[in-house]
Amino acid sequence: MATASTLLSPELLTRLEAMELISRKIFRGRMKGERRSPRKGQSVEFADFRNYVPGDDLRFVDWNTYARLDRLFLKMFLEEEDLHFYGLIDASRSMDFGQPSKFLFAKQLLAALGFVGLVRGDRVKIETLGQPLGRTSPAFRGRRSLWRMLDHLESLAPGENISLAEGAKNFCLRNPGKGIVVFASDLMDKAGYEAALGWLIARDLDVYVVHVLSPEELDPALEGDLRLVDCEDGDEAEITAAGPLLARYKQTLAGFLAAARQFCVRRGVAWMPTNSSEPIEELVHGCLRQGGLLR
Amino acid sequence: MWPDWINMLSWWQWSILAAIPPAIVALYFLKLRRRPLEVPSTYLWHKSIEDLRVNSLWQRLRRNALLWLQLLVIALAMLALARPGWHGAKLTGHRFVFLIDNSASMQATDVVPTRLDEAKRRAVGLIDQMASGDVAMVVSFADSARIEQTFTDSHGLLRRGVEAIRATDRTTSLRDAMQVAAGLANPGRSEEIRDTAMPAKVFILSDGKFDDVRDFSLGNLEPVFVPIGTAAAANVGILTLSTRRHELRSDQLQAFARLENFGPRDVSVGLELLLDGRMIDADRMSIAAAGTKQVAFDLGSVTSGVLTLRATAADHLAVDNEAYAVISPPRLANVLLLTPGNETLQWVLQTAAAGAIAAVQVQPPAFLKTAAYRKQAAARNFDFILYDRCRPDEMPQANTLFIGAVPPAPGWSAKPAVGRPQIIDVNPAHPIMQWIDMGNVDLAEATPLVVPRGGSVLVDSDVGPMLAIAPREAFEDAVLGFAILAEKSIAGGKPEVVYLTNWSIRASFPIFALNLLKYFGRQREITDSGSLLPGQPVTIRVPSDRTRLTVEMPHGTAEIRPIRPGEFSFTLTDHPGVYQVRDGETVVQRFAVNLFDRRESDIRPRAELALKIGHVKVVAQSTWTAARREIWRTLLGLALVVLSLEWYTYWKRISV
Repeated sequence: MATASTLLSPELLTRLEAMELISRKIFRGRMKGERRSPRKGQSVEFADFRNYVPGDDLRFVDWNTYARLDRLFLKMFLEEEDLHFYGLIDASRSMDFGQPSKFLFAKQLLAALGFVGLVRGDRVKIETLGQPLGRTSPAFRGRRSLWRMLDHLESLAPGENISLAEGAKNFCLRNPGKGIVVFASDLMDKAGYEAALGWLIARDLDVYVVHVLSPEELDPALEGDLRLVDCEDGDEAEITAAGPLLARYKQTLAGFLAAARQFCVRRGVAWMPTNSSEPIEELVHGCLRQGGLLR
Repeated sequence: MWPDWINMLSWWQWSILAAIPPAIVALYFLKLRRRPLEVPSTYLWHKSIEDLRVNSLWQRLRRNALLWLQLLVIALAMLALARPGWHGAKLTGHRFVFLIDNSASMQATDVVPTRLDEAKRRAVGLIDQMASGDVAMVVSFADSARIEQTFTDSHGLLRRGVEAIRATDRTTSLRDAMQVAAGLANPGRSEEIRDTAMPAKVFILSDGKFDDVRDFSLGNLEPVFVPIGTAAAANVGILTLSTRRHELRSDQLQAFARLENFGPRDVSVGLELLLDGRMIDADRMSIAAAGTKQVAFDLGSVTSGVLTLRATAADHLAVDNEAYAVISPPRLANVLLLTPGNETLQWVLQTAAAGAIAAVQVQPPAFLKTAAYRKQAAARNFDFILYDRCRPDEMPQANTLFIGAVPPAPGWSAKPAVGRPQIIDVNPAHPIMQWIDMGNVDLAEATPLVVPRGGSVLVDSDVGPMLAIAPREAFEDAVLGFAILAEKSIAGGKPEVVYLTNWSIRASFPIFALNLLKYFGRQREITDSGSLLPGQPVTIRVPSDRTRLTVEMPHGTAEIRPIRPGEFSFTLTDHPGVYQVRDGETVVQRFAVNLFDRRESDIRPRAELALKIGHVKVVAQSTWTAARREIWRTLLGLALVVLSLEWYTYWKRISV
């Protein structure tokens, strides 16, 4: 499928078609999907036929059809479940920084993952942290929903002012189902990110944290006497940017990343640090496949 | 000892400077104005600078340290601008005259680099001490004074005036400089502005090698003598170099030189004698401290050339270590004899001895009326003209002897003729009358002379002067009151030659003729081969048909364009050496300029460190230090150190 989009390039789409979202936990979906369910025979509702291939269990051959058509078809008795894929984007103003911006990067990432889900018939839902509790966002399923999903993603804009914990709590209350949640955020919350992740973990979701940082944050090129203004709360920090201070900043950043990693690993959460200047293709093929989210 | 201050800035500049420290303090209260920059989150930055906040007390102290350091820098800069200094005498008064000696002796190097540089340095030091509003002028003096800068209150102009002074090779005379100073410093000497007369302080920066100034009224001038030079000054100078023909063999030439050691120690001096740049003789001698040595060189039969005598000795003054002398080719004096006929006179003027001195041309009195005579007489073609019983209409440009006639020059006249006068006295001191015995000379008839003022009688008789000589402009006129012979017709017969004296058959007569030729004919050779002092004007003879001559000097070439033929006064004789006057390719005249001045060569300080100007004794300020010791450089350096310290502190502050 060669279609151009601001979020996904045709080449990437082609490569993503061959992929599949996997979950480390098997979840029960609402509709059948292309996944085996551990609950065999629970639903005997006829679903479909498929051609017999040598090696299939002969017990499931539809002999009536064979008698009529003289061809072997296999009845799909096994219930196959769909997967709930949630994309959760931190749309705070801090995500609007970076070149390209962290927010755009997060949207691209979720578009890619969402596309994989759509292709595999999974249920895809993409939300922002600041989405009000009462409003539900559209769910997408099937390849044909791609454009709707992309339109939805395009409509998302940064600028929400909500703490991570509050947003995560609202998300959990809105979406009671289980599934995979990919949380794209910079985790820069002065109140801490631990509570927010705690809400997601408590729901027994398969949580993937994509920690998005911009090059400006990873290696700030500042100089001189500066008054740094926090874009979210207007908090100020007066610094004199010189070698020693920048070195100290990098130490602090490394400590921050290490703490986030440790927190996630201890709680079975997959934590993936990313740089917003990296091409999305590399991330999908490298980091996410290694992280076990894609196959 | 408290320093004194020199105000370098005007009041408004000071007020701007004074506003800086409060501004710094105010800036510290207002904090540093930082450039605002929006960032995604200050979360990590706050964590990074948390450590700084922990020790905020120390932080504040350090910030204050910066403030104090900055204030200290400004304070040091202000202190430096106020130019504190010590030991420099504060100049009192409002008008100053700086007389700076730039004569030859000031080139002495006993004070490094030279005495003149030291004098200039001290003068600049004095100028720096002048309060604003004080006026001063700068005068340099050697044998004459030169105003380098008239009265001004601009230190810059005065300093430039001092810097412009260059060393000369001239002798020294303070009188001229004092007169210049007095003329400019005492405007009250002219009647109408007497009220504005203001006292002025005269600083005489010199080594004191000049005569005391007598008969001089200081008026409003208050002299201060600043002696330059040290007692360790040593110098060996050539004081004389002259050439003379050998007494017995006139074709042989000898050179004589006199050297004097003005140093405190005996010295060994090497001498080199060069003829036209080629060494022809060398000598080495030892001269005792404060002693003199004379040396003679036999030159052989040298007809012309330039002699250079070079003395090599370790001394402090170089200008008198070389002396020059010009050997002029022997030139025959050009003598004109105007006579209606006088055999004996013609004979004595044509002897072998006379022929070696002079070329005598004999013409009848009618020659006086010709244009050729008038032109040559006016153009100084003749050195000596003898008028025998005739007289010109006007006096020629030459030395003259009138025989039996009275020159048409003012002052000369003759009394009526007297028979048989008795010669009673001869003046043997005069060169003309040397070796002349007139005791055996009888006179038949003579006219006693009336001698003009300034003249001297050479032969006196009982009736009056018989031979007298008197100066006229650059020449001398001699008049003989009696003729040697006369043409007289005795008893109405044919005129016959009658001798009026028996002198012509006496031995003294040819001697007298020779003396005349030597005295009048060779007189000019003195200026040809003699030596001039630097700066002394010299008279250059300009041939009648020349309007352009060049003078080759040791320091260049000058062209002279005399307005009229005759003489030209050449004054560019500033440097020792040989000067050649050229007419195209031929050398017309040569002269040597030498610093043969004992006073300039004697560079030892005055025995008594005092001058006498008029009746005022000016004692030298021997312990006086002209240069004011200032510390503004140190202060500025200190300010720079503090500035570096401030930067270091700041760096430490941001680097935690």
